[in-house]
Amino acid sequence: MQWTTIAQAVMTGILMGSIYALVAIGLTLIFGVVRIVNFAQGEFLMVGMYISYWLWRLFGLDPYLSLLITMPAMFLFGVLVYGVFFRRVIGAPDLAQIFLTVGLSIVLMNLALFFFTADFRSIRTPYGDLTVNLGGVILSVPRLLAFAGALLFGLLLYLFLWGTNTGKALRAVAQDREVAMLLGINPERMYWLAVGLGGALAGGAGALLLPFFYVFPTVGVTFVLIAFVVVIFGTLGNIKGAFLAAFIVGVAESLGILFAGGDMGLIVVFVILVLVLAFKPSGLMGA
Amino acid sequence: MRTGPPLLELQELRKAFGGVHAVRDLSFTVEEGEILGMIGPNGSGKTTTFNLITGFFPPDAGRVVLAGEEITGRPPYDICRRGVCRTFQLAKPFPDLTVLRNVTMGSFVRARDPQEAEARAWTWLAYVGLEGKARVLAKSLTTIDQRRLEVARALATEPRLLLLDETMAGLTPHECQEAVALVEKIRREGRTMIVVEHVMRAILAVSDRIVVLDHGLKIADGKPEEVAADPHVIRAYLGEGYRRA
Amino acid sequence: MPHLLRPQVYVPAGALAVLVILPHLLPNVFYIHILIMMFLFAALGGAWNLLGGYGGQLSLGNAAFFGVGAYASTLLVNFYNLSPWIGMLLGAMVAMLLSVLVGAICFRLRGAYFAIATIGLAEVLRLAAHHFRDLTYGAQGITVPFKGSAPLYFQFASKIPYYYIALLFMLGVILLTRRLERSRLGNYLVAIGQNQEAAEALGINSAWAKQQANFLMALITAFGGTFYAQYIYFIDPPSAFGLGLSIQIALVAIVGGVATVMGPVLGAVIMESLIQFTQIAFAGTSYGLELIVYGALLVVMILLRPTGLIGWVSQGYGAMLRNLPGGGLVEGVER
Repeated sequence: MQWTTIAQAVMTGILMGSIYALVAIGLTLIFGVVRIVNFAQGEFLMVGMYISYWLWRLFGLDPYLSLLITMPAMFLFGVLVYGVFFRRVIGAPDLAQIFLTVGLSIVLMNLALFFFTADFRSIRTPYGDLTVNLGGVILSVPRLLAFAGALLFGLLLYLFLWGTNTGKALRAVAQDREVAMLLGINPERMYWLAVGLGGALAGGAGALLLPFFYVFPTVGVTFVLIAFVVVIFGTLGNIKGAFLAAFIVGVAESLGILFAGGDMGLIVVFVILVLVLAFKPSGLMGA
Repeated sequence: MRTGPPLLELQELRKAFGGVHAVRDLSFTVEEGEILGMIGPNGSGKTTTFNLITGFFPPDAGRVVLAGEEITGRPPYDICRRGVCRTFQLAKPFPDLTVLRNVTMGSFVRARDPQEAEARAWTWLAYVGLEGKARVLAKSLTTIDQRRLEVARALATEPRLLLLDETMAGLTPHECQEAVALVEKIRREGRTMIVVEHVMRAILAVSDRIVVLDHGLKIADGKPEEVAADPHVIRAYLGEGYRRA
Repeated sequence: MPHLLRPQVYVPAGALAVLVILPHLLPNVFYIHILIMMFLFAALGGAWNLLGGYGGQLSLGNAAFFGVGAYASTLLVNFYNLSPWIGMLLGAMVAMLLSVLVGAICFRLRGAYFAIATIGLAEVLRLAAHHFRDLTYGAQGITVPFKGSAPLYFQFASKIPYYYIALLFMLGVILLTRRLERSRLGNYLVAIGQNQEAAEALGINSAWAKQQANFLMALITAFGGTFYAQYIYFIDPPSAFGLGLSIQIALVAIVGGVATVMGPVLGAVIMESLIQFTQIAFAGTSYGLELIVYGALLVVMILLRPTGLIGWVSQGYGAMLRNLPGGGLVEGVER
């Protein structure tokens, strides 16, 4: 096996890892702030992806441009989901929280199935088939653009969370709700914000995927499973951890596919989960 | 007090969380039949000490010895079966179960079957005065009754050593008196106890000996009168102007 | 008063008698099929309930055990002509070994994270079944060789024997749950489900208690998998290990009522009826509508009545019993 093939797989893994990072960061943010594990996060991605798809299909809007619509729309979607559903199970027992989000996931998936059918859909863009050659490693342009987009959003999020007062308030609530309240921060507003951001990030990931990935009703399922592994691996609630873990998982998956075939990618990801749970359950950033 | 090997011995226990030393080189003994009071400001390591004794986490260094046998780092259920039971500072009842069933869970450890466990639970309920509320759900109890439940449940495991963690916090003076009366009642049976409290009057009155912790270190160990007069203790905890009431 | 004449005894006994005669009275084999599915899912949900309802560890990966049972017996009968009755026992043993792995790694996780880990496990098995197609025929699935009427090979020409087996299966799980509820282990599981730390402080070995429930759950679920394979004659990775199946198993207990004996039975009746109803009502429209209803039901239930519907039903049942002859001393349900 040539080193370029391996390098190829590693690069692809890094590129995909950036997408996993977006989904995982949304998940870990929602968990850290609202303390709810959102099984429907993958469906946020799916909805965002379909929004961008239909904007392309009906109006010819380029997916990267559609981000300007999709991400705010998905932010609002997240806010809506929080307001109607999540809000009622804050502090409820695990069973209620898990199965509420599972139920939402089922409803969303099947609404998509009902309205859009199970067809795998893809879009055509002028740059869709372009590739660049980096020293023997061939990378697809849409994947590179997705990577760039994901990094951009990651950077913007970082600036928001560490640089603005609202962002710091969000992190404060994630760290210690009571102390944050003592400091005059209203946790309820932070919950809306966290779920909205989670929606926007996942929706953005969906839009970034569209140029090179099929959209279909259950597309979110694989992403959310991988995102969960990333979140646990990167330590629950820890954004930097999720970012780092996402790339490691992306590369591991890619190498798994390279050496053992299509299904093995996901199996490798779950093996990572098992190893993390067995040896360092607190994750990369854990004490 | 009895002579002979101490019931419980802590030998240079050390535990740190991240950079915070919760407990440092802590050593003390508890004789059979005595009540040891443990006091200290918040964060001085009292609850951590309880957690170390009962196995909720292992110490970084040091040993816990129960009646001559080492129990350091053993899991909580094992330590309970060996005769050490605790109450929690933040009460942990089984919320959706009745008071009776809560206590029955404790008596399972010493009972042959569920029927015997329930029968024993009734006696413990009567002991703490909760038999009238046997069918009430634990989550509906008042604070003082929740404390009573914690104690009854712990007693149901028939411990040789009972650890009471701030049983009197947040109680009215009248309720405190009832709590003290209960502790006295337990002591009259000869049960050994370590009691952690902030209510100074109560703990000075009830304890045979007192250990004072400050930032994880033991700064005093002796009879209540001695400890109350110890200048280090006064400075660290009781405040300069304290007088025995 | 003679034991038999109290409604708490004669009503269930009568219901049982009706169930026994029922398959011979039903006009259409399709109804028998529905009942078989109800019994099967009542048993599967009841198994989930042992660890999930009583012990509070919510598994979303029971399909792993189901699929192990289904594939074990089917592979053994295909390759070695081994009777699925034996294959069922072997499959159950493998499932129990698997449950040890799950417990060792996953019990330290609580709540949703345990659920995720179990999803992961079932998915790994599904993908493995898909991937190792030399062994499992991959995506195309395996058919059980058709032998007509072959009781020794767990095959029957008519649905009726399957009906009785499924009924016995469900009854077995019901009786097991009842015995467990009153036992030391059952009480320990309830304590653990309520507050694991407090339970540990009272001398309860929570890891071992949960593992025992885990064994039972794996065993029963694997049995269900073998039954399913022998009844439907065909399995493939999604039908044996699918996430949808795992969710359905958990839902049966949740909709009906967790930590109760009859909750899963009620849940199975409701879920299966709902599935059939929506399939009939929305026949011809695109697939997916019944699942929307299904998912919406779950959401509504969680928001309004997370303890399940058995509470209402048992109150109504208790009231009915009191009004029947001999019913003076019927007690309510005590926790």
